[in-house]
Amino acid sequence: MGVIDLDGLEVRLGNRIVLNGLTGTLRGQAIGLLGPNGAGKSTLISTLLGFHQPLRGTARVFDFDVCRDRAQIRQQIGYMPENDSFIGNMSGVRFVRYMAELAGLPRGEALERAHEALFYVGLGEVRYRKVSTYSLGMKQLIKLAQALAHGPKLLILDEPTNGLDPVARQRMIQVIKEIRKEGSIRLLISSHLLRDIDETCDEVLILKDGRIAALRNIEEERKSHRNFIEIETVGATEQFSARIRELGCECASFPGGRIKLVMPDNIEARDLYVIASDQGVQIRRMNQRRDSLEDIFLRAMDNEVGRPEHVSV
Amino acid sequence: MSVYKHNYRAYTGEVTPLWTRVLVLARYAFAEAWSSKITVALFTLSLLPIIVFLIVIYLANNPIARALIVKGNSAGLEVDARYFFQILQTQSMIALAITAWVAPRLISSDLSDNALPILLSHPISRFGYVFAKFIALFSSLSAVTWVPCLLLFAYQGYSSPQPWIGGNLQIGVGVFVGAVIWIAFLSILGLALSSWVKWRIVATGTIFAVLFVPAGIGGIVTAILRTKWGFLLNVPFMMSVLWRRLLGVQSFSFAGESIPISAILVMLALACVLCIAMLNARIRAREVVRG
Repeated sequence: MGVIDLDGLEVRLGNRIVLNGLTGTLRGQAIGLLGPNGAGKSTLISTLLGFHQPLRGTARVFDFDVCRDRAQIRQQIGYMPENDSFIGNMSGVRFVRYMAELAGLPRGEALERAHEALFYVGLGEVRYRKVSTYSLGMKQLIKLAQALAHGPKLLILDEPTNGLDPVARQRMIQVIKEIRKEGSIRLLISSHLLRDIDETCDEVLILKDGRIAALRNIEEERKSHRNFIEIETVGATEQFSARIRELGCECASFPGGRIKLVMPDNIEARDLYVIASDQGVQIRRMNQRRDSLEDIFLRAMDNEVGRPEHVSV
Repeated sequence: MSVYKHNYRAYTGEVTPLWTRVLVLARYAFAEAWSSKITVALFTLSLLPIIVFLIVIYLANNPIARALIVKGNSAGLEVDARYFFQILQTQSMIALAITAWVAPRLISSDLSDNALPILLSHPISRFGYVFAKFIALFSSLSAVTWVPCLLLFAYQGYSSPQPWIGGNLQIGVGVFVGAVIWIAFLSILGLALSSWVKWRIVATGTIFAVLFVPAGIGGIVTAILRTKWGFLLNVPFMMSVLWRRLLGVQSFSFAGESIPISAILVMLALACVLCIAMLNARIRAREVVRG
C-alpha cells in the first residue's frame, strides 16, 4: 500500500478532461507534484480531498477511497491551499484552534496545539493579532500551522513558497525539511518551482496535460549518478585517460581536453589529481554532476504524451 | 510540538466523533454572530416590546390595576389570540432585522476571505457547513421570537385567575409553529443571499430588498390584474395570514386573506428550494476549479 494509489483516475471539469487516466503508486516520505500551469496539480489535490468526483478510475489515500471515505481521508490530512484562505477577523491562535477542533481535537487540546503550532512555524509572537493584519509570508505560515496543528498523517502543501521573499522562502523550506525529518508525516508538495521540490522531496510526480509524464524517486536518481564527473584538462589528455581507465573508470574523451567519466565507488576525486600530477596534466575544472530534477523534468516534458516514464520506487 | 523546544510532535490523543464537527462550526458561528455590538443592541431592543407586553399581561390580570386603568372598559387589556398575534408580528420584524445583520456575518466573511477551501478540507461536508450556520442563526432568532413569546404565554397562564392555558393551547402551538416557520425561512433566505454577496452591508440591504421589493411588485400585480394571487409575492403578508390561521385570529374581510394555506406553504417551500439551490451553487471549495 502506498500513500496515494491512483488507478486510471479521470476527472472532468465542465467539458474539459483535467486528469486523464492517472495510474501509479506514490510511496515517498515527501512527494513532489510538478508540472506546468494547467497540468492538473491542483485538481489532483482537490480530488484527493474529495472536492471533485472522478469520472472514471479511483484514487486512494492510505487505502481509503476518495469518494466513499472522504471524512476518514480528511481526518488524516492537513491541507495548505495555494491562495489566501483564512478567517481574517480571528486572531491567529483562535483560527488555528478552530481548525484543530474541526479536525477532531477536543477544545483544550486544540488550544494547546494551536499555540505550539504557531510557535513551531515562527508566529508565536504574533499569535494574538488578527489574521487579516498578517503579511503575505505570515499568512502562508499560518496556513501551514493550521494544517499541522491536528497532527495529520499526510500534509498537502499547494505552492507553499508562493509569493514569499527569499528569507521567508528559506524559512518555509527549512520547516518542511524538519517536518520530513521528524518522520511521522508524509508530505505531498505541489509546486512549479523545481528548486523547492528538489530541496524537500524524495519522490516526484510530474504531470503534463493531465497525464503522468514521469514518476521518479529522486533519491535513487541521485545515487545512480553520484559518480558521474566532467573534467577539463590541459596537457597529455590521452595518456591521462588511459591511466584513469586502468583504475576501472568508464571514460570518454572530447576535443578541448574535456573528459567525462563514471568512477567506481572505491575511487575518489583525489586519485584523479594524483594521476594528473604524475602525467603532468593540469585539471582546470571538475564538475561532479548530478542528474538534477531539472533534467528529469525537461526529459518528462519532452516525452510523448501518454508514455509515462515509470521507475520502480 | 512544544512551545519551548519548537519541535514537531505528532498528536496521539483522543479525537472527537465526526458528528460533533457540525457543532464546532455552529459554536464558532454563534460566537461570531454575537461578537458584534450591533447584534447585542438589536437583541436588547427586541426585549423592549416583550417588557411592554409583559406589563400589559400583568395589568390585564391584576383586578386593581384593571379597575384603575380601564374603568370598566376591559377591551384594551384583553389578552387573547389577537394579542399574541401582535406580539408574534412585532418580534418577527425584529427577527428580520437581526437576520439582515447576522446572516452576512456568518457566511460573507468566509467567502470574502476565501476560507471555504480550508474549512471544507476538514471532515465536514458542504451540507454540514450550511447546517451549522443555520443552527447558529436559527438559535439566535429563536431567542427573540418563540422563546419570549412562549414565556409570555406561560406567564399569562400563570397570572390568569381562571385556567387559561388549557383553553388556549392553540395560541401557544400557533405561536411556536408560526415563529419556527418564519425564522427557518429567514435563516435559509439570509444564508442564501449572504452566500452570493461578498460585502456585508450590501448583503444586509439585499435581504430587506428581497422581501419587500417583490411585495411591492405583488401589490402592483394584484391591483392591475384584480387578483388575490399577487399577494403570494408578499412574504410578510403571507406570513401574517398564516399566523392568523394558526392562532385562530378572526381575519379581515380582505381579498388577500382568502389565499389558501396550501398555496402559502407551497410558495414558501419554493422559495426555500431556490435558496438551497443558491447555497449549493455557492458553497464550494472554489479554488479547485482553477486546475
